[in-house]
Amino acid sequence: MMEKDLLNRPMTEDEREIHAIYLALKKLAARDDLPPCVARNVRKALACLWQVTNDLDLQFEQLYHLGV
Amino acid sequence: MYSEYWNPKNETLPREELRNLQLYKLRAFCEWAYANSPFHRRRFTAAGFRPEQLKTLDDLRRIPFMTREEWMDSQLEKPLFGDLVAADPNHAIRYHLTSGTSGRTPIRVLDGLKDWEWSAELWCYGLWGFGVRPEDVMYFAFGYGSFIGFWGAHYGCEKLGALVIPGGAQTTQGRVEQIVEMGATTVCSTPTYALRLWQQAAEMGIDLAKQSKVNKVILSGEPTGSIPAAKRQLEQAWGAKCGDTAGMTETGSIVIFECSHQPGGTHIIEDHYIEEVINPETGEPVPYGEPGERVCTAFGRGFIPLIRYRSKDMVVRVPHDTCDCGRTGDIYDGGIRGRWDDMKLIRGTNVYARAVEAIVREYDAIAEFQIYIWRKDHVRDEITVRVEIKPGREEEWPELQKKLGTRLASAHEGLHFNIERVDYGTLARFELKAKRVVDDRPKAEYGS
Repeated sequence: MMEKDLLNRPMTEDEREIHAIYLALKKLAARDDLPPCVARNVRKALACLWQVTNDLDLQFEQLYHLGV
Repeated sequence: MYSEYWNPKNETLPREELRNLQLYKLRAFCEWAYANSPFHRRRFTAAGFRPEQLKTLDDLRRIPFMTREEWMDSQLEKPLFGDLVAADPNHAIRYHLTSGTSGRTPIRVLDGLKDWEWSAELWCYGLWGFGVRPEDVMYFAFGYGSFIGFWGAHYGCEKLGALVIPGGAQTTQGRVEQIVEMGATTVCSTPTYALRLWQQAAEMGIDLAKQSKVNKVILSGEPTGSIPAAKRQLEQAWGAKCGDTAGMTETGSIVIFECSHQPGGTHIIEDHYIEEVINPETGEPVPYGEPGERVCTAFGRGFIPLIRYRSKDMVVRVPHDTCDCGRTGDIYDGGIRGRWDDMKLIRGTNVYARAVEAIVREYDAIAEFQIYIWRKDHVRDEITVRVEIKPGREEEWPELQKKLGTRLASAHEGLHFNIERVDYGTLARFELKAKRVVDDRPKAEYGS
């Protein structure tokens, strides 16, 4: 689990929680056995969580390989 | 109690940390572009640049500038999108294109799911910054076409929880009626069209300042939003605060926005962009307070990476603390001041449409105007400002004609401006970008 943000500052409890949700969504988006209602809504949610984690300097990465 | 900032963490980030964040993103973004976009790999290689050379933010200058012409060439060589695209086009969920008034082909853009969400996110910085809140009723006086316009703002408003009224595909009269009927508190529009809405309302006997609930007008699409006289006129007409924003199809969202403190300029969203200001002739950076061309690197759109893009927008950058809102993003004083390529040369004098508009808008009796450039007797270039006078203000015309001519001449090295009055309602009205300059001079023709 990541403990520091991109600027090497300690993550807050809220930030750790948000980052964990982001990672969980990434894991789900990588699966190819989920029904469309799950697969597409997970991607939509991941696109939103990418904004939060990017706004908070927790990650800066591309997700096109996951269709996001 | 709401936070004043959409993103308190980054909007108040000390500038040293902001630069570190930009460097981190720049390096990762260039690595992505080098690995995935043939367009950028080719250009980086030709310039002898490799992403690992980015040790400090000043190393940014090792990266070659990117121009619209190169992008268009790429599209023409490899239709439809050229070789700039860095991801599988099957993952795109959105297509837009530039309004296409200049250049050989419009710029075509694709967005993935997160890029499109990012467009809305950046609008949230601006909308929230100007005071839009979940209780607001947002009216979009916008045609909802292939031009990117206010699409991102629409989704941004949904995201921040405001009620969105899409005012597409209807008459100006219908839009005025809806604004009043639905109790819209905020209207999103180009400055030109905001004025048109007000004129239409006046013709319908509606005083928007008194009979509507509008208290904010969000402006975009034209430089007019930061011209003090134009803004004053709009704020009086609507009885509302007018906030300027600016972006471009190429960036996918807004880059700058005016905060609710209205410092006379627009904050740059610097955790998502690197904005440079350069001398357009030499390419060298210009210091705070001097006019230059803005060059943009946009981090949110990996699908079509925009790196050191020459915008041709004319800006004057000033430090963030020119505004007392607490944001640490620097400011473009006066917003976008025009375009380096919209200068007209009239008998040796440089004339910019925005500068003319700044003076014309000082005269409240003028409803609409057009800058008409023509050639007299095949030799002498002339410039005529055609104006429409608001109904009921006709008696002001003789005095206005004299004053306007004198003001324009004194602001342009004594250049004589013809000032003509045309009937009310005869000049074109615009919903998107206004085209008020008509250059009727003959074009040079060569060959038989």
